[in-house]
Amino acid sequence: MNNILTATGLNKAFDNLEVVKDVSLTIKKGEFVCLVGKSGSGKTTLLSLLSGLEQPTSGEVSINGTSITNSLENDLALFRRKAIGFVFQSFNLIPTLSAWENVALPLFPVKMEKEKRQERAMELLGQMEIDHRAEHRPSALSGGEKQRIAIARALVNYPEIIFADEPTGNLDSETGGAIMNILKHLHKNRGLSILMVSHDQELAASCDRIIHMKDGEVVS
Amino acid sequence: MYYPYIVKELSYRHNRTMVNIFGIAVGISLFISINALSSAYKKAAQQPFQDIGADLIVQRTAQQTEGSGRQPKSMWGIRLPFSNQLFPDADIAALKQIDGVETSAYALLLWEFTKAGFITIMGVDVNQPSIGALKAKNWIYKGRFPEKQGEIAVEKHFAKFKKLKPGTSFIIDKQTFQVVGTIEIKEGAQAVAPNIYMPIANAQMLLGKEFSAINLVYMRLNNPSLQNQIKSQIASKIKGVSINSSDSSLELMGGVSMISEKFALIASLTGLAGAILLIMKTMISNLVERSHDIGILKALGWTKTDIQKQLMIETLIQTIIGGSLGILIGYLISFGLGFLSISIPVPAEMDFIPAMARHARDANQIVRLPVSVSLSLAASAMVISIITGGITGFILGQKTSKMKPADIFRQL
Repeated sequence: MNNILTATGLNKAFDNLEVVKDVSLTIKKGEFVCLVGKSGSGKTTLLSLLSGLEQPTSGEVSINGTSITNSLENDLALFRRKAIGFVFQSFNLIPTLSAWENVALPLFPVKMEKEKRQERAMELLGQMEIDHRAEHRPSALSGGEKQRIAIARALVNYPEIIFADEPTGNLDSETGGAIMNILKHLHKNRGLSILMVSHDQELAASCDRIIHMKDGEVVS
Repeated sequence: MYYPYIVKELSYRHNRTMVNIFGIAVGISLFISINALSSAYKKAAQQPFQDIGADLIVQRTAQQTEGSGRQPKSMWGIRLPFSNQLFPDADIAALKQIDGVETSAYALLLWEFTKAGFITIMGVDVNQPSIGALKAKNWIYKGRFPEKQGEIAVEKHFAKFKKLKPGTSFIIDKQTFQVVGTIEIKEGAQAVAPNIYMPIANAQMLLGKEFSAINLVYMRLNNPSLQNQIKSQIASKIKGVSINSSDSSLELMGGVSMISEKFALIASLTGLAGAILLIMKTMISNLVERSHDIGILKALGWTKTDIQKQLMIETLIQTIIGGSLGILIGYLISFGLGFLSISIPVPAEMDFIPAMARHARDANQIVRLPVSVSLSLAASAMVISIITGGITGFILGQKTSKMKPADIFRQL
């Protein structure tokens, strides 16, 4: 089996408003796919459906052969902890925790020694070249630093796929370019599957494949 | 579970943490102090009875005794108190037949009126069980308790006032008695203590009656909680007697004691309920404030149980600290209340001092409020704090479980 993600006939409606309409798509293992479209086209909702953050009104999603549709919330949470990494536009770091603790956050509910958690977090911060900021809280970090920490956090559980929702959306072009380079590096050197949402055609151009969305439908 | 995260959350949102801790502390301290105050009144009312080791005191009052209510020829000299008329032999025999009485003792209380004032005299039989008036045997301050006729023991303050000590003599109704000891009455029992103790035969001789003359019966029951049943039993068998117990004093106290007795639980639980509502309200508003973080945790794979555990421990830490602080504050309030003096209203029939000596009566009945925080009260307060924390944590967990990460991110 070559596909890391398969979606079939996905629909999502909020009351009478159809946000995602009959979407079917696949992502191959090790593929870097970019989902592009205008604001309100349904990109983020589709990403939520594909990553199990949201349940579709109809249709099915499976990741690495495991169907995540109609799973119980707790099972979905455990699946996300085991197989999925997230990078958000607004970083979504916990303000009370230091950089390394934010990276190790998905590991807190897992039974393991504190030293091992910290060791893994520090290793990833090192790879993101931000280990010197390990003890700082998010409020003391720049946007680029926060997003590096968020990427390190997405990698902490050795995920099979990373979902990135506008990871450069809150950054200036230079910092955004650097973050994009990190993602490309992870894809190229580690063979990570990545599904990235963006409205920036220029960024999308450097991905393996581009999926265009318009009014909730995949148009190409 | 990563405990530093819990500590960091509590210290980061320190204002909210402090509101929760102090809210629960106020509720718990109210619970402790109101309950301690309520039981203190009960203890104060029971104190005279506990000190003399009796549950019931049985007497005959002048009004209740046929033919004994007539006006005395003279107020001078030895006489029976109005509330302590002599028991007929038939009544004594009937009292011996009462069920549920562990032990009983008899005494003869007299008043002597002279131009110098009045004295109260208690005649006791040293061969009887050591309850009631005879309990004074255990409170010897100097010397010893009178054992034979012609000997008396004197209450310490009365001895000081009259300059009496072992070895001196004292005249009662023109008869000279040898002082063999002084007695220090325990606080609380002073309300039912006389000035002078002497062998009952001497007291009967002073009254000019035969050896069977008695006017006080002390009873210790097998089961003090059945005192109301035994009171009814006595009242049905012997007409016209007055039976007093700690309940009689408590009823007479009325006011604060009755209010706290009746409403202590309600008042303290109301205080606690206020604290619980406060902590729930602040925790729930905190949940709204933290919904973003909860969304992140859920997205990153924290299960409902993981988040519930986190919130539960955060709440429990606050309620345990608040509970401990509340117990400490409650203890300090109770300690302060312990400095208050209250008057124990002794039922008129039990008061050994003539009604005309109002000031002496009042002074006799004042005791320090015996406020104390029992271990069981402190433990129940802590259990209530923990249960509050548990329930609040559970409610928060239930609310959290309904929060969907995608919904949270969409609302931001």
